[in-house]
Amino acid sequence: MNYNPPTPVERVLARNRWSRFIIILLLILAALYYLIFVNQYIVAYRDDLDHFKYGSIGSEPANGFPILVFKALPVMFRDELGPTGYRRFGMLYESEQSELPVGMSRRIVSGVERVWLNCAVCHAGTYRVSLTDQPTIIYGAPSNNLRLFNLLKFFLKVASDPRFTADNLIETINSPAVGGNLNFVDRLIYRYVVFPRVQAALQKLSTQVSFIHRQADWGPGRVDTFNPYKAIQFNFPMDAAHVSDTELNGSSDFPAIWRQRPREGMHLHWDGNNTSVDERNLSAALGAGVTPVTVDIAAIHRVRRWIWDLPAPAFPVPSAIDGSKVERGHQLFAEYCAGCHGMKIASGQYDYDTNRFPRLGQVENLDRIGTDRDRWASYTQNFSAAQNTLYAGYPWRFTHFRKTAGYANQPLDGIWARSPYLHNGSVPTLRDLLEPAAARPKKWYRGSDILDTGRVGYRSDGFGSAREDLFLYDTSVPGNGNGGHEGKSYGTELPAADKDAIVEYMKTL
Amino acid sequence: MPQAMDGTFLHEDNASLIFSPLKFRYLETKNRLFRSNLSGMFDEYNGYGGNTRLNWEEKFAKGGVGCIISSYTPVAVRGRILIRYAMIDDDDKIPFWREIGNRVHGYDCRFIMQLSHSGRQQDMGGVENLFKRALSSTNQTDFFHGILAQSMTVPEIHEVVEQFAQGARRAREAGLDGVELHGANGYLITQFLSSGINDRTDDYGGPVENRARFALEIVRAIRREVGPDFHLQMKINGVDHNNWLYPWKKKGNTLEDTLIICKMLLDDGKGVDSFHVSSGSTFPHPRNPPGDISTQNLVRWYGGMLSSGVRTRFNYRIFNNPIGGPLFQWLWRFRRGKIIEGINAEYSRYLRSEITKIDPSIKFLCTGGFQHAANIAGVIRDGSCDAVTMARPLLANNDLPQILRTANGPIKQKECTYCNKCLLNDLANPLGCYEVSRYDGDTFEEKWDALIKSVMSVYQPTLFR
Repeated sequence: MNYNPPTPVERVLARNRWSRFIIILLLILAALYYLIFVNQYIVAYRDDLDHFKYGSIGSEPANGFPILVFKALPVMFRDELGPTGYRRFGMLYESEQSELPVGMSRRIVSGVERVWLNCAVCHAGTYRVSLTDQPTIIYGAPSNNLRLFNLLKFFLKVASDPRFTADNLIETINSPAVGGNLNFVDRLIYRYVVFPRVQAALQKLSTQVSFIHRQADWGPGRVDTFNPYKAIQFNFPMDAAHVSDTELNGSSDFPAIWRQRPREGMHLHWDGNNTSVDERNLSAALGAGVTPVTVDIAAIHRVRRWIWDLPAPAFPVPSAIDGSKVERGHQLFAEYCAGCHGMKIASGQYDYDTNRFPRLGQVENLDRIGTDRDRWASYTQNFSAAQNTLYAGYPWRFTHFRKTAGYANQPLDGIWARSPYLHNGSVPTLRDLLEPAAARPKKWYRGSDILDTGRVGYRSDGFGSAREDLFLYDTSVPGNGNGGHEGKSYGTELPAADKDAIVEYMKTL
Repeated sequence: MPQAMDGTFLHEDNASLIFSPLKFRYLETKNRLFRSNLSGMFDEYNGYGGNTRLNWEEKFAKGGVGCIISSYTPVAVRGRILIRYAMIDDDDKIPFWREIGNRVHGYDCRFIMQLSHSGRQQDMGGVENLFKRALSSTNQTDFFHGILAQSMTVPEIHEVVEQFAQGARRAREAGLDGVELHGANGYLITQFLSSGINDRTDDYGGPVENRARFALEIVRAIRREVGPDFHLQMKINGVDHNNWLYPWKKKGNTLEDTLIICKMLLDDGKGVDSFHVSSGSTFPHPRNPPGDISTQNLVRWYGGMLSSGVRTRFNYRIFNNPIGGPLFQWLWRFRRGKIIEGINAEYSRYLRSEITKIDPSIKFLCTGGFQHAANIAGVIRDGSCDAVTMARPLLANNDLPQILRTANGPIKQKECTYCNKCLLNDLANPLGCYEVSRYDGDTFEEKWDALIKSVMSVYQPTLFR
């Protein structure tokens, strides 16, 4: 017998207390759920440049690696990557101590810190004037080092590698090289949640981009922009029956992203498929791993504000400019080049005025320009239609994508830092580009960041690097053709001295 | 004295010791069973006693105790502990107390009035004290309920000393058999005596001799009023255990401190006639009344004290908290210790052995859960005390003395469980035994009806018949 029963009032109060307890508990659980599993946490940077280098644009939730997994992979696969880890793929670390390379951001998603790419991974280049220099990073310049093809292949290999197991992963994370210090609970999470998810995601990626096995190596500083896009964003069938080899050979150079304000309204991308800087930005972000759901619009807009007026870098070795030829070069450039590319005016400012330079930012017909068709071919009518469904329901829904008839003329500001040249990076120097196609280098080395300050471009003769660290660019490989942009109107028939003068002038752009 | 083989004594021997008379210097009781200080909120708000109180005291006299010590009887309304307790603050209260004496004496039972002053331990001061801080030795707030205090000035001390003296005079005029000073359990006299509370820097604070000055002045003032031949006893803490609730509080008086105080109060034979040994510098205290604490009853009845102090709301939230309540109960049991019955006997034994070396005529009473003959006789036999005082066991069994004549104690079901529900119910309800399990009945409802009947019996017989 209960000798101390509650009174009727106490019984009701006890019930209310339980209700209150349960409600408060549910609220706490909801708050915890929100704080841990819904809300995401980023590192915010005060400085716009730091934001560009390391700020998250929202690529991590859908595609990011847990940071410890990202750090563990080069340790687990040291025999593949060597001692320098991701540096092997041309990823730039600001210092030996840097935890992450430039172009990699972090975001805590579902309580796990994940890392993945941002804009800077493809838009930061380096140069050296002499072999012994430390590389100087130019932010906003096209990456000349990044070997995205090899990085992607590495991840695909990991997906199917028998050494990629939960045990190995956890052991590596806990090793001094990674220093993850996973406790018992962490280990359970990594074993039963994190590892299976990473493996499944990598295997899914393998299936999605299996077409890359049909592709030639993109090489350093190049990317096949649209084929992975077709596969990952739209699940396009990518087999040979649906995507021809020609369409698959669309690898092209990364572009520079400075001075975007004057580019608004011009035809952007190599083939000029879009005239909106914002759409082009958002589209490029998808390539970095963002999805329309996870995109951090504010972060991308901040990058946009920064590149809006970001100045093009000045030629780093003024003494290497032969002032006696610049004026002559100026005249020749005005005559042969400025109509399509704009030019620097007397005040020293680059003039992007499309009224003055009517072909600037316009698409040049394929037959007229004559450069390699395959990049153009990789961008299809169907694909542009699909792109215009992206972000449906948002004010920033894509509406500008179009299939064009050729390649777009671009301003040449900071052109010295955008080597090699043409959309597919098939011509190593400006001086080479002024030669008829037949006289341009047929096989040369990509991947060096040592400047050839005379011909303007990175050294392509293999100087200063082990051959295996360079990429032999073969212009006979489909998609790699170095033809086009030649003939009288392109200046390739000018005397050598005039060509030299044009190059001297172009150093000043 | 014949002893059983196992070292225990036969009940006949225990009973004959318990029911042997006890002779104080100026008072003799028929047995060694005293009712300790216990009453309910039965009286008039303004301190007059009434019919219910007469019934109340008569219950115990009839039950066979040799002497009743009244519940705390304020010598001034400023020193009231709870409302609706009869006071002795004015001569106009004498007739009521005279009637009490008469009723009790009819059963050959003595009656000692406990003179008390709450000091800062003023649980329910009543409307008369609503806008006053409680008088005390200190300005420090009571740490349990947070009752605000005001350190007494020397003139105020003299005034209160005189109030005690006049209370004693009125008790004698009422024909009562003696007075007891409530110097234990955290009330005003304890607040002066205790090193854990008294933070004065004048003649009434500091060393133990100074802290005892207030009590000694009261003893002398009483003697001045009532003469040397009126029974005067002192209720005192063996040990204060002042840090029971908050371990960072000072511990208060040790047994040695208490011995010094007792010696001083003898006042060379002109002081007190006996000591009544308790412990604990607050009331309630895990050691007094020793037993359990019912958080269910705390939540039900502590509400009446919410307006009394600045920590009562905090306490209430603790009591009412599903984690805080059981934790408080655990602390309460932990601080009490394992012994309940005879919890103060060791303190009493030490004090008695030392004091009787000085004056063998001084008697010692010991309180603390006594309800079994073997234990009562045991503490008398081993020199811990000369008699025991009982409150809750007598509340549970008014006729406990009669039970003890023939048995070691009540049958198991009828024993006092030391649940202390009586204590907590007293804040709101008629005082009685509220332990349901003790009552007869086959269902809870039957037992509860029996409980109510028992509790309400104090109102019988009614005044108007």
